[in-house]
Amino acid sequence: MNTSTVEIIILIIHFLFFIYACTAIASYIILAMISSKETIEYMKKNSFVNYKEILSSTISPSITIIAPAYNESLNIIENVRSLLSSHYVNYDVVIVNDGSKDDSLEKMIVAYDLVKVDFLINQQIPTKPIRAGVFKSTNPAFEKLTVVDKVNGGKADALNMGLNISKSDYVACIDVDCLLLENSLQKMIKPFLEVTDKTVIATGGVIRIANSCIIKDGKLLDVNFPKKLIEKAQILEYIRAFLLGRMAWSRLNGLLVISGAFGLFNKKVAIEVGGYDTNTVGEDMELIVRMRRYMEETKQKYKVAYIPDPLCWTEAPDNYKIFISQRNRWTRGTIETLRMHRKVAFNPKYKSLGLLSYPYWLLYERLAPVIEVIGIIYFIILAALNEVRWDYALAFIILAYLFAVLFSIVAIFSEELTYHQYKKKGTGFKLIMISLLEPFVLHPFILYAAIRGNIDYYFNKKKKWGEMTRKGMATS
Amino acid sequence: MKSYQYFIDYFKNAPAIIQVVWVMIVLFMVIITILIIYLKLLRSRLRKNEKIVAQYQNEYESNLITYLYSGNEEEEVSAEQQLIVDKLKSCVPDKFKRRVVVSTLLRLRNEISGEMAESIQKLYFQTGLINYALSSLKSKKWYVVAKGIRELAQFHVKEVNDQIVIHVNNPNKEIRKEVQLYLVTLFHFEGLKFLDVLQTHLSEWDQIQLLEVLQRFDEQEIPNINPWLKSKNDSVVIFAIKLSKIYNQFEAKDTLLELLEHQHKKIRVEAIQVLSHLQVYEAKEVLKNKFNELSLEEQIAFFKLLENVFESSDETFLQEHIQHKNFEIKVSALKIFKLLNIEKFHSFKRLLSAPKDAEIIEFIENN
Repeated sequence: MNTSTVEIIILIIHFLFFIYACTAIASYIILAMISSKETIEYMKKNSFVNYKEILSSTISPSITIIAPAYNESLNIIENVRSLLSSHYVNYDVVIVNDGSKDDSLEKMIVAYDLVKVDFLINQQIPTKPIRAGVFKSTNPAFEKLTVVDKVNGGKADALNMGLNISKSDYVACIDVDCLLLENSLQKMIKPFLEVTDKTVIATGGVIRIANSCIIKDGKLLDVNFPKKLIEKAQILEYIRAFLLGRMAWSRLNGLLVISGAFGLFNKKVAIEVGGYDTNTVGEDMELIVRMRRYMEETKQKYKVAYIPDPLCWTEAPDNYKIFISQRNRWTRGTIETLRMHRKVAFNPKYKSLGLLSYPYWLLYERLAPVIEVIGIIYFIILAALNEVRWDYALAFIILAYLFAVLFSIVAIFSEELTYHQYKKKGTGFKLIMISLLEPFVLHPFILYAAIRGNIDYYFNKKKKWGEMTRKGMATS
Repeated sequence: MKSYQYFIDYFKNAPAIIQVVWVMIVLFMVIITILIIYLKLLRSRLRKNEKIVAQYQNEYESNLITYLYSGNEEEEVSAEQQLIVDKLKSCVPDKFKRRVVVSTLLRLRNEISGEMAESIQKLYFQTGLINYALSSLKSKKWYVVAKGIRELAQFHVKEVNDQIVIHVNNPNKEIRKEVQLYLVTLFHFEGLKFLDVLQTHLSEWDQIQLLEVLQRFDEQEIPNINPWLKSKNDSVVIFAIKLSKIYNQFEAKDTLLELLEHQHKKIRVEAIQVLSHLQVYEAKEVLKNKFNELSLEEQIAFFKLLENVFESSDETFLQEHIQHKNFEIKVSALKIFKLLNIEKFHSFKRLLSAPKDAEIIEFIENN
C-alpha cells in the first residue's frame, strides 16, 4: 500500500469514529426528548388514577410474586416480610429457595410457621427437581406465602419453578432482596388492564438504589444519598438510564430489557415461549427478546410497557470489585442474547424489534465499549507517533465531557420535576458534583468491566454469575 | 490581553469544525452554569412549596372545622360561617391556593358523613369553587376537563349531569373514564345507562373501577342487563357478564347461554365461567355436545363448570378425557371421578401409570 492509500484508510477510520460519536450523541438527545414527553404525559394521566380502588378490589387479576433466593439467610426474613406487605389484594408470594447451602429455609420455617404440604405442580417448563418440598404457613397472617425448596439450578431455573407453581395470570419476577413499595403491583398491573388494542406481555419499573436509605419492617422510611462515590455515581447512572432512556423505548415500543430486579409478565406468554433460558447469564433480557420475537412471529400485536415511578429499591454494589463483576455479567448477558437472536437483526419481518431496537442495542450497547477501547488504543498509537493535534483533541475531549455532564444534569432535572426523591438540603449540590465526577469515577470501571465481559465471553466460557455479597439495607 | 488575542487568532484560523466545537463548548458551559443555578432555585422552591402547602392545609383545615361547628338552626349561614366563606372565596382565584382548598375539602369530606358532609358540599358552592370546575369542562386540554369532571364527582354535583354526559364518547380515554366514574358514583346502577351508547372499548381497568364503585352501594336493585349482554360493543358484553356474576343474575341465564355461540372466544370463555358460577345445568349439555369443537380455553372452562354441575350420567364423557393432554382438564376429570365413582377412580392407577399421572392421582387421592 502506498502512502496515499494509508492516508485514505486512516481518513475513513476517522470518519467512522466521528459518525459513530455523532450518531450516539444524537440518539441520546432524541431518546431524552421522547422520554421527557412521555414522562410528562404519564404524570398527567397518573394524577387521575385512584390506586386505592384497584388495590382493594377482589376482582382485580391475580399476581404471583416469584422471588428466587440463594444463600440469602442474612436478610431473608425481612425481605419476605417486605414482599408480603403489598397493598394489592389479589396476590401471593412464591419464594424459591434455589438449593441454598445456608439456613435460609430453616429460618423461614421458624419465622413464618411453615409446614410441608402436598402440592401438584404443572411442570410446563422443565426445572431442577424439588428438594425438601413445598411449604405453606399455618399462620393465617402469612397465607399468601409459599416456599419451594429445590435443587440448585440458578436464578433462571428458580424463576421457571415459580412460573410452574403460580396459579395467577400475571407473575412479578423479583430479586428477593428488593424492596417493593406498597402500591407497586397495582401500578405495574395497570398497563396490562388498560391497553385494549394489543397484548401487554411485560411491564418494567424503575429500580432505585437503596444504599444508605432507612428501611423498617420492609418499608422505606427515609431516602438518603449515600456517602461512597461509587454508590452516588450509580444513583446518577440509574436516574439517567431509567428516566431518560427506557421511557423513550417504551414509547417506541422498543424495550429490549426489563430489569431482572423487578418485572411483571403475562404468564401465559412467558410459558408459551418456554420460560427463562437457564443457559444465559442475561436471562432477563433474553426472555423479553424471546417473548417479543414470539409475538412478532405469531403476528400478534403486543407491547412491553414501562412505569417511571420509583417502585422497587435495591442494594447496589458498594465496592469496585463487586461492581465490575456485576457489569461483566451484564455485558455477557447482552452478548449472549444478541447472538442467540441474531436472526432478528435488521430483519424487516420483526418490524421495530429488528430494525430499531436490536440494531441500537448492537451498535450503542454491545459494541460501544469495544469501539471506545479501540478509539483509546488508536489515540495512544497516534500520540506515540506524535500524530496527535493536541489542541483539536483537547477541544473534542472537553466537548464530550461537557455533553456527558449536561446529559446527567438534564436527568437530575427530570428527577426533580417528577419524583423528587432526594429532598434533603445539600443533595442537589452532591448530585451536581457527582455528575462532574462520574466520567472519572464510574465510567472507566464500566468500560473495564465491559471489556472483561467480552474477554470472559469468548475465552472463559465457564464463567457464570459473579458473587454479590449482601450487606443488608440500613434498618432503623 | 496577549493570551486573549492569541485565542481569538487561534479561533479565527482554526478549521470550521474546530470553531463549531469551541462554540459548542462555550454554549454547553453556559447552559450547565444556568442549569446548576436553576436547579438550586428549583430545589429550594420545591422545598418551600411543600412547607407552604402544609401551612395552608393546616389553616384551611382549622377554618373548615370552625365552619362545620359554627352553624345554627336559625340561620342558613351564621355570621361566623360567612366570615370563613368570604375568606376562602378570596383564596380561590389563586390557582395554587384553590388546589389546596379543594384537596383539604376533599380530605375532610372523605372523613365525615351525614349533615357535615353536606355542609362541605354547600361550602363548595358558596366559595364559587364549582364555577372553576364547570369552566374547566370547556377547556381544550384533556387533563383539565378530566380533572374538572373528577372534582364534580367527588363533590357529588349531580346538577351538571347534562354537561358531562356529552363526553361519554370523547376521543380521550381519560375523559371517558372520568365521565363513567362520575355517572356511576352519583347515579349508581342508573349511571350505567352510558353503556347503551358507548362506542369505544371499556378496558378491564375501567371495568374494575366501575365495579368497585358499584360495590360500595348497598342497594341491590340491578337493572336489566340483557341488553348489555347483547351489545355490539364486546367490552360492554364482557362487563355485563361480570355484573351477572357479581350480582348472581340468574335471570340473564338464557342470554348467557346464547353467548356460548358468540363469535369472540374471550366472551364465550367468560360466559362459560359465569354459567359455571351460576351452576346452570343447561350449559353443560350444550357444551358437552360440541366439546371437540371448543377451543382449549373453552374446554378448560367447561371442565371447571363440570366440577360444579357434574352428574352420574357424565361418567362416560369424563372417562374419555382422563387421558387428555392438557394438565388442567386431566386433573379436573380425575377430581370429578373421585367424587363420582371412587372405585373406578382407584382403577385408574393401573391405567395411568406414567410418573406424572401417578403424581396427579396420588395428589387427588390425598386431597
